[in-house]
Formats: sequence, C-alpha cells, structure tokens
Amino acid sequence: MHALRYFFTTAAASLWRGRRGAALAILTIAAGLFVLGFFLVLNVNLQRLVSRWGESAEMSVYLTDAATPAELKDIDDMVAASGLAAERRYTSKQQASDRFRADFPDLAGAAAGLDSNPFPASFEIRLKPEVREVTGAVDGLAAALRAMSGAADVRYDREWLVRLNAVVRGVRIAGGVIVSLLAIAAAMTVANVVRLAATSRRAEIEIMQLVGAPFIYVRGPFVVEGILQGGIGAVVALAALGLAHSFVRMRFANEISPALGGALTFLSPPSAALLIAGGMFLGCVGGYAVARRVR
Amino acid sequence: MIEAQHLSKIYSRGVYALRDLSLRIDKGDFVFLTGSSGAGKSTFLRLLLRQDVPTDGQLMVGGRNLAHLTAAQVQSYRRSVGFVFQDFKLLPTKTVLENVAFVPRVLGMAATQQQRRTFQVLKWVGLQHRVSAYPEELSGGEQQRVAIARAIVNDPVIILADEPTGNLDPDLSLEIMNLFREINARGTTVVVATHDRELIRRVGRRAVTLDHGQIVEVT
Repeated sequence: MHALRYFFTTAAASLWRGRRGAALAILTIAAGLFVLGFFLVLNVNLQRLVSRWGESAEMSVYLTDAATPAELKDIDDMVAASGLAAERRYTSKQQASDRFRADFPDLAGAAAGLDSNPFPASFEIRLKPEVREVTGAVDGLAAALRAMSGAADVRYDREWLVRLNAVVRGVRIAGGVIVSLLAIAAAMTVANVVRLAATSRRAEIEIMQLVGAPFIYVRGPFVVEGILQGGIGAVVALAALGLAHSFVRMRFANEISPALGGALTFLSPPSAALLIAGGMFLGCVGGYAVARRVR
Repeated sequence: MIEAQHLSKIYSRGVYALRDLSLRIDKGDFVFLTGSSGAGKSTFLRLLLRQDVPTDGQLMVGGRNLAHLTAAQVQSYRRSVGFVFQDFKLLPTKTVLENVAFVPRVLGMAATQQQRRTFQVLKWVGLQHRVSAYPEELSGGEQQRVAIARAIVNDPVIILADEPTGNLDPDLSLEIMNLFREINARGTTVVVATHDRELIRRVGRRAVTLDHGQIVEVT
C-alpha cells in the first residue's frame, strides 16, 4: 500500500513536471486508441448492416402460369427437405401485382392497362443465416429448383452479400494493421517521455540506488507513469469517439437509421473498458521498457 | 566487520587504483583513510559501497564477499551502509525534511515512523529549525549536516564518508567530525576518507595512509 502510494505520487509529480512531453504521449495514445475505437464502432455497425441485409436476402422461385398444385407442392417439399430455408412463403400472381402497385404507385396505372396480370406467382425463401455463404449447398438448391417442372426461373443474389462480407473483412484487416502501427508508435512515445522523466530524476535515482532502495521502488514510478499516460490517453480517445459518434448519429440519422434498422451503435461497456485497459497496457509497456534499464 | 584481502583495482590502460591492499576494520572502529589525490581512498570507498568490484583479491563485509552479491543483495547490503559525500548530493528540489525523509520513504518505512525518525535525526544534527529550507538556502556546514542526517536515518551499521569536510572551513570541519564521533560512539563503524592531516590529528583516531593504491602507514 505504501509502495503504491509512493509510485502514484511520484509518477503524478513526474507527469506534472514534464507535462508537455506527457501531453504529447497522451495525445499519441489517444490518437491510436481513437482509430482503434473507430474501427470497432465501424465493425459493429457494418456487422449489423450485413446481418440486416442478409436477413432480407431471399431466394425467389418464379412459377409458370401453368404450374399445377402438385408441382407447387413438389417445389415446396424440395425447399423444406433441403434444410436451408428459415422461412418460405408463397406469393400468388394477384399478391405480386398488389405489391407492385403498393411499392411503385407511379407505375400502377401502366400495369392496370395491361390485358392480363404479367406478374408471376413465386415462392420467396429466406435462407438460414448460417447457410447464406455456403455456396455449394445454396447453388445446388437453386439449380435443382430451376430444373423442376412448374418453375420458370430462380433468382438468388448471393454475390453482393459475399462481396459485402469481404469488405467487412478488409476493413477489419486494415484496421488491425493501422491500429498495430499506432500502438507501436504510442508505446515508443510513452517510452521516450518516461526516459526524459528518468533523466530529470537522475539524482533522485542515484540516491535511491546508494541507499539500497528495492528495485520495485526505483522502477515502479516509471511503470505507473506509463500506465497513467496510457489510461488518460484512452479516456481522451473514448471521449473524442463519443463526441464523434453523437455528431454522426444526429447529423446522418436519416441516412443511417433506415439502413441499420436503428440508431448507430456505440462501443459496448466491456469494449470501452477494454479500450481503457489497452491504453494502460500500452503505457505500461512503454514505461517498463525504460524502467527495466534503471538499475 | 570489514576485511580487505590482497585487494586490487585496475582501471583502464592498466592503471592501479588499489594494489594488493589488505586491511581489517573491526565493528565499531573509526578509521581515517588518508593520502594524496589519486592514492586510492575514494576507490576503496566505492568498493565498500559496492559501486564497483575489485579486479583482484576480496572485500568482505560482515562475512559477505561483496563481489559475489546479486543485484538485489547489493541493494539489501546498501541498506546497512550510510554514505556522506563531499558534494553532499542533496536533492535541490526537496526541502531539508524531504531530503532526509526520502530515504525511509523509498525503503518502505511506515509514514509515521518515517516522520518520527526524520525529526529525530534532524534534531540530533541541530537542524530542526531548518526543516522547510531548500539546500541552496543552507550553508555548506548545514548541507553536510543534512547529508549526515540522511546517512544515519535508517540506522546503518557502517558510515562511509568521502572527503566530507572538503568544502568546509576548519571549525566547521571539526564540528562535522564531532558528529561522526558521536555516531561512532553509538557503535556504528565509521570510515572517513580525507586528505586533511591536521583534521585527523585533531580528531585523533586510527589513520591508514595510502599512496598509489598501497598502504604506506597505519597510525
């Protein structure tokens, strides 16, 4: 307890003495963690977007006008037996026509002028989330349905979903690389600032060594100084991220909310805590790099 | 207590700072190391403080060979040694009280004990009225008394002093030596390096004269 108090008071005094350098280190850590937090927020929301779009992705089996009830049952049975469908729904010619009129009221007049209803009946199949990217199985089902009697065409726009997932993966990798580089830069900045602090406390350290102070007393304050810098940097990053999130959420609410089906998500409390812990860890690494050379 | 056996220390380019020095200092002794500049006095003290290790021979303190101590053991050993330097080595940004209390503080002593012991030693060296002063506000004699207070605050068994009166006038020097005599009277072993033969004569204790790293006279 006494040792901890000594570490913290000494580290705080040292931070205050070298506040300019410390501010630089804190800002560097804050920048790195802001970018990390940005990618985390982006990832969470992209994941929501992918999930929402994925849910709305359907396989449509368009039926011929001459399809018999038996043929419809065969198609329905095949979909059910595949085990890939989370939900399947039959849409009659009339229902398709009604939906067109509701979705495109400007064109409703043109459709009404036709002698017969041009919209085909269909089965709309919502796939289970876990099979959306299982190319072989879904493609196999689509091909089998296409070959069945009573089916006019099968449409499944899987490509764009795969592409979107690839973009999310790319964002994660790019984020990882950028954050790693910034983390190294932050740890090095902390190490340099702590090194300056060590230089300014040289006389004090010499006395500590001469009187036989335990190494933990000599080195502890440097590690704690790094941890404090990292922790403060993380809190600054979190605050900046919160402000940026609020701004985007309010400014682009009309564009974002419909796409995500709700407001832009922020970091969860465990993620925020992890971000602060990450900042403290970075600071600790920087501080320890200097402290272990002090003997 | 302190035993040097055929002790040699060679610095770069083969220069001997100490050459085949053998010396015994018993517990509770008060010994002067004297000799001209470069005689090896400070080197012997550096070896005793374990700031350096001998090139040859061995230096035993309390039965422990100082050359064989691990880094942690060195720190532990130094807790039993107090030191006083010619240039005082006080921390300029700390007050008299903070300079002295710094030692028990970094040795993990409890706060109340730190304070009690610090006031005790400052009173003993006669500086209880200057506790809030900074080193630059003190005279040379006062600064050295602060350094002595700092050296004894954790009750060491040995006190090493390297030219402690080098920056002081003769009267102040004698005053400082009287403090060392009092410390010694309590049973602490005191080793003082000085080139001031007049001071040694006035204090009247055992003096070991070194020349070119060798003992040339013991009086």
